[in-house]
Amino acid sequence: MQTAALRVFCHWPQSNSTAMIRQCLKCRALTLQQSSRAYGVIPPPRDSEEKEMVHRMLRVDHAGEYGANRIYAGQMAVLGRSKTGPFIQEMWDQEKKHLEKFNEILAENRVRPTALLPFWNIAGFVLGASSALLGKEGAMACTVAVEESITEHYNSQIRTLMEKDPERYTELLQVIKEFRDDEMEHHDTGLAHDAENVPGYWLLKNAIQLGCKAAIYVSQRI
Amino acid sequence: MAALLRGLRAGRALRGLSSVVAAPTATNPQCGSLRRGFRCAGLRLQDESKSDKPPSSTSSSTTYHEHYQARSAEQDTVASASDPAADQSTDPNTSYQDQSGEQDEEYETEEQLQARILTAALEFVPLHGWSMEAIAAGAESLGLSSASTGMFEKGSGDLVLHFIAQCNAQLTEILAEQHNQVQLGQAEPKKTADFIRDAVETRLRMYIPYIETWPQAMSLLLLPHNIPDSLKHLSTLMDDIWYYAGDRSTDMNWYTKRAALTGIYNTTELVMIQDSSPDYQDTWAFLDNRIQDVVNMATTAKQVQSTGEAVVQGLMGAAVTLKNLTGLNQRR
Repeated sequence: MQTAALRVFCHWPQSNSTAMIRQCLKCRALTLQQSSRAYGVIPPPRDSEEKEMVHRMLRVDHAGEYGANRIYAGQMAVLGRSKTGPFIQEMWDQEKKHLEKFNEILAENRVRPTALLPFWNIAGFVLGASSALLGKEGAMACTVAVEESITEHYNSQIRTLMEKDPERYTELLQVIKEFRDDEMEHHDTGLAHDAENVPGYWLLKNAIQLGCKAAIYVSQRI
Repeated sequence: MAALLRGLRAGRALRGLSSVVAAPTATNPQCGSLRRGFRCAGLRLQDESKSDKPPSSTSSSTTYHEHYQARSAEQDTVASASDPAADQSTDPNTSYQDQSGEQDEEYETEEQLQARILTAALEFVPLHGWSMEAIAAGAESLGLSSASTGMFEKGSGDLVLHFIAQCNAQLTEILAEQHNQVQLGQAEPKKTADFIRDAVETRLRMYIPYIETWPQAMSLLLLPHNIPDSLKHLSTLMDDIWYYAGDRSTDMNWYTKRAALTGIYNTTELVMIQDSSPDYQDTWAFLDNRIQDVVNMATTAKQVQSTGEAVVQGLMGAAVTLKNLTGLNQRR
């Protein structure tokens, strides 16, 4: 009886280690599974609440990039052949890339685009064109205002996602952070090109930012 | 002495008797099988109710698909793994020890019970129509009291909505399977118009067993308290059909396509309920014509757009020519 117990105890470390090895392999397999996630940017939603939240975020981001595109198109239509043309074109190209990325994400995840897209189409173009008619400073002021709003918006989204579960939304956070950095660059470019020299800068900037806030609010819901 | 022995033997016999009497399980065999049936049906319903919910969305069409199929495969294996476990014994203790499966294996939620009753009630619809009598008959066929119809606040609307959700889930499965076949290269991808026609036809054919009573069902769906749910089911159905038809648009086309398909679907449904041709041929001909109309409209719209662009270019050319002719274009 005692020898049997001793034998068990002697073999215990061996069997323990093989069991531990097996467990370690399982753990590693699990973490590998999690790290080489098969989905794209958005993890499969766990419930309808999460799906609603993520879809809302994507919808408004898509609308924002679409609107920014149209604003730059409006500015280019007026200032395209002037000195600032190339700078606006460069910023426009970056926005086009952002819009493409969001189109991809929306299509993959079956997210409904906002129904107000035609409205943002026209409103964005009109805003861009009319601010460009105030001259190069006007266009830059519009850029500064819009990019500041968008940066603030992206920052609040990043905060929300970080509060919920940063690991789960790693890819989405990466995308939003990258785009936020691009928008901040545009904001700085605008400032560097004499945005503040336009007459009524404070009024113009706040009016545009108010419009952006309203647009964000509405696009999230409709 | 003999009397003592006889007494002892009697005592032993009595104890044996009492143990036999005490031994049967607390519940009689009928109850035990009901609980087993409960558990099994509960699991089956888990599959059903989970597939009733609109499929969750993930990444690209292929990986979204793999996720959808992995989920249904996982549910199947869970159900099959725990079915033999449930069948093993009527001893209530083993159910608590069985930690391997889903948490609510042993307990049926109210939704699952409702779904079970409504599914059973569908058999009685040809007899009683879409009414509380059908639901009561369904409940009774499952061995439950007909008073359980009190669970359904929307009354017979619940029955119709349940049936519609079931049909939508079936259609999604069929479309997912077809999609899979195409991805594996085992089937040719259909043209969009053909795909839509087949999808709508498949979906409407699910109404054929209940076609006599379907007008009643349609009118039930138009009641104010049923409208939000019926619209939700309709919109998810349209979204599913377009998704599997390959629509990945992210602009106004998203809305126009779904609106067009909703129009086609609803009108074809209306034609179907008063169609008396063999195998509803007239309905499918109507469906073909409507789809052709939409395709023509789309082609016409494209033509109008390209014509418009050509006209604008022509006008711009004429304006520049005029400016050149009048000398306004020269810089002095």
